Amino acid sequence: MQEPDPATIRAAAGGDLAAFEDLVRAYQQHVWRFLRRLVGDATVAEDLAQEVFLRVFHRLPTYAFQAKFSTWLFQIARNAGIDELRSRQRRARLLRALPPAPPPGPGAAEARTEIDAALAALPADLRETMVLIEVFGLPYAEAAAVMGVAVGTVKSRMFTARRRTQAWAAPGEGEGGRGVAR
Amino acid sequence: MICDDALAAVSEHADGELDAPGADRLAAHLAGCAECRDFDRHVRDLRAGLRFEPVTGAPDIAGPVLARLRRDAGRQIDPARRPERRRPLVAAAVAAVAGLVAGATFVGLGATPPSPAAAGVPARVVAAQGTVHSLDADFRLSEDGRPGPGPERRSFAGHLAYRAPESLALTLAEDGGARGTGAAARLVVDRDHWWQRTARACSPAAGLVRCPEVRATATRAVADRAPFSDASPVPLELVTPVDSFALAGTPVDLGTRTVAGRRAVGVRVTAAQVAPLLAGLGAGVDLRPVYPGDPAELWLDDQYLVPLALLVRAGDDPGRAPWARSQGVADRPGAAVVRFTVRAATVNGPVAAGAFAVPGGAGPGAGEVRADEGFRSTRGRPTGGPVATYLPPGFRRYRAGTVATPGGPGVAVQSWTDGRAWLTVRSTADWPGGHLFGDLGGEVRPVDLGGAGRGYAGADGRRVALHGRGVDVVVEGSVPAADLRAVAAGLGVRGERVPAGWAEAATATRRAAATALPGLLVPRAGGGFAAPAVRVDERTVSQVASGAGDRGFVLVQAPAAHLPPPSDGDEVGVTVRGRPGRYSYGLGQLDWIEDGVARSLRSGTLTLADLVGVADRLERA
Repeated sequence: MQEPDPATIRAAAGGDLAAFEDLVRAYQQHVWRFLRRLVGDATVAEDLAQEVFLRVFHRLPTYAFQAKFSTWLFQIARNAGIDELRSRQRRARLLRALPPAPPPGPGAAEARTEIDAALAALPADLRETMVLIEVFGLPYAEAAAVMGVAVGTVKSRMFTARRRTQAWAAPGEGEGGRGVAR
Repeated sequence: MICDDALAAVSEHADGELDAPGADRLAAHLAGCAECRDFDRHVRDLRAGLRFEPVTGAPDIAGPVLARLRRDAGRQIDPARRPERRRPLVAAAVAAVAGLVAGATFVGLGATPPSPAAAGVPARVVAAQGTVHSLDADFRLSEDGRPGPGPERRSFAGHLAYRAPESLALTLAEDGGARGTGAAARLVVDRDHWWQRTARACSPAAGLVRCPEVRATATRAVADRAPFSDASPVPLELVTPVDSFALAGTPVDLGTRTVAGRRAVGVRVTAAQVAPLLAGLGAGVDLRPVYPGDPAELWLDDQYLVPLALLVRAGDDPGRAPWARSQGVADRPGAAVVRFTVRAATVNGPVAAGAFAVPGGAGPGAGEVRADEGFRSTRGRPTGGPVATYLPPGFRRYRAGTVATPGGPGVAVQSWTDGRAWLTVRSTADWPGGHLFGDLGGEVRPVDLGGAGRGYAGADGRRVALHGRGVDVVVEGSVPAADLRAVAAGLGVRGERVPAGWAEAATATRRAAATALPGLLVPRAGGGFAAPAVRVDERTVSQVASGAGDRGFVLVQAPAAHLPPPSDGDEVGVTVRGRPGRYSYGLGQLDWIEDGVARSLRSGTLTLADLVGVADRLERA
């Protein structure tokens, strides 16, 4: 993932919306894909991605150039995603208004591949590790920085996640193990 | 090279993290080991599938975000104006102490002497739920400082009708007036039917940008609803706020006054604590976002503990300013944010005939979504689930039956109630595994059920799951955690440890965690939080503790000589347990090093002052 020009970051931090738009356009797809894999829902991921970039805009003046911009951005996105997952269970008990209606037309119904299903069956900590490393190709050290864990933890999580998805994908195991948490 | 090492090496090699000699040893092993070759192939296939996905369908994020920022700019929110900059440690420590004092006077962190009246409120709320059998209330609801393009202030006339255990009708009608739209929202639940019309087809998640700017209504109808279903919940917090108080510490006492002609007892808590109540109140009308640390004054009926009035004000916590900017709101400290007042209430009186009639009739209307939860009553015959030999006093049998969903396991559901209090036992013989049955969340706590073996409690203590031979069970309810455990222990199922591959396998007892990480700190019992769920991953120990309502925190500890460099610029220096530490407003995270271990406390609902208080109450395991 390419790092942005520091001048663009400084301009955006100073309130230059055109510069900020460049940043959003450069990273919006990465952030949305990451969140979609993490929370397992394209529409929720879209809402969360908007929230993430609003947060990024307001916190840009504090970005200290001590970590890579992408690491900093993924940290914010990751926390938004984890908060969403954590509060989901509690919120389920509370009354919610209706979710936004899915946009009409072709492509709205996202085909869930077997890999999506395998990923969705993983607990959140394994899933986020898998997405950071497999989807975005982050080195262990950077993924560790994003998640705030030790490099050894990243290594063991990757191994566990891969073993588990292998068991899941094994013939005969079928579609069990997800979406039936009742 | 043995297979275990080789499998781990396959994973590392795929990520480019294996050194050259390691890669050579791996290649030699793979040549002669089919199992490891299978794993290697799986790793490659998985990567191909994950990395090379079609990129169609990625939404435009920049457009709505920029539109929102330009609108905010019109509302005088200047992103370049930053009240918090990096401050020297000493000044920040003073600020943190000042924050503590402010927090104590504002939100009651223990500096105000607890009074006997307020001290009893949490237990009285939990006990009172069995005494409420019906409720009829007229109320007013208003909000100020709404973000976005609509009016900044909205007010509603509301009506609530309730009959135990789960029949409820809630109506909110927005006042007309110059900019009001007269929008209405209605929720009706009657046992196995659930119906809701929302004023806006928009999720109320904080800070949403995509909400349509034109008014719209949407309707959702659920049939064959399971008892106390999570998927079609009933806002029972409006009747008795059990979730807001079940794990609460002593609130600040506000004395007594009269509300709607009834004697009311007042407490001051935080908005995070009454989040379940706020969520129920705003059902279907998309209330404005509320800062979790804001002070909330709640007045409860002195006899039945029914909520009679709630006032949430904008607090003066230092973390509020960055939050407000991210949400696009600008509230003066002390200004009313959300206000709820009951005008007339009758408890345990008659409820009007037809109060819970589900609107409907001639098929689905425009924009109506219909769902079927697949619950079938067994009409008094056994469900096939385990037989409960213990129930809390006063509980009587309520609905029981089976739920079958396509592709899912067959589940037997039994329920019992006492007034508004409820209890369910769900069980299945064909759980596919991978994680515990019952959706307890990733962090659980093992509980000793005596002769019934080992159970697992969810972090918030509201569910207890048993993984038995040939059967998986979950007990859930609004009763105290001890009652849930007693019911679980009396089901005739012997709970076993979850298999090694399950999500909860890293669950540990405190003792095991303390062995894995000497010097481990744990939260002292009580203090407004349930005993934490503990997880050990190598030498990293995570503890997740839930409090009343949405309050909760995560404590992560791992060996480290010094903190990693800050990745964020908004950290401030603070004194934690007499040591230097730092706090990030953006992450809601407090970090410090103590005895060669990095300690990190994170919360989305507690303020810096709350977290410093939690840290001070940590003790050696």
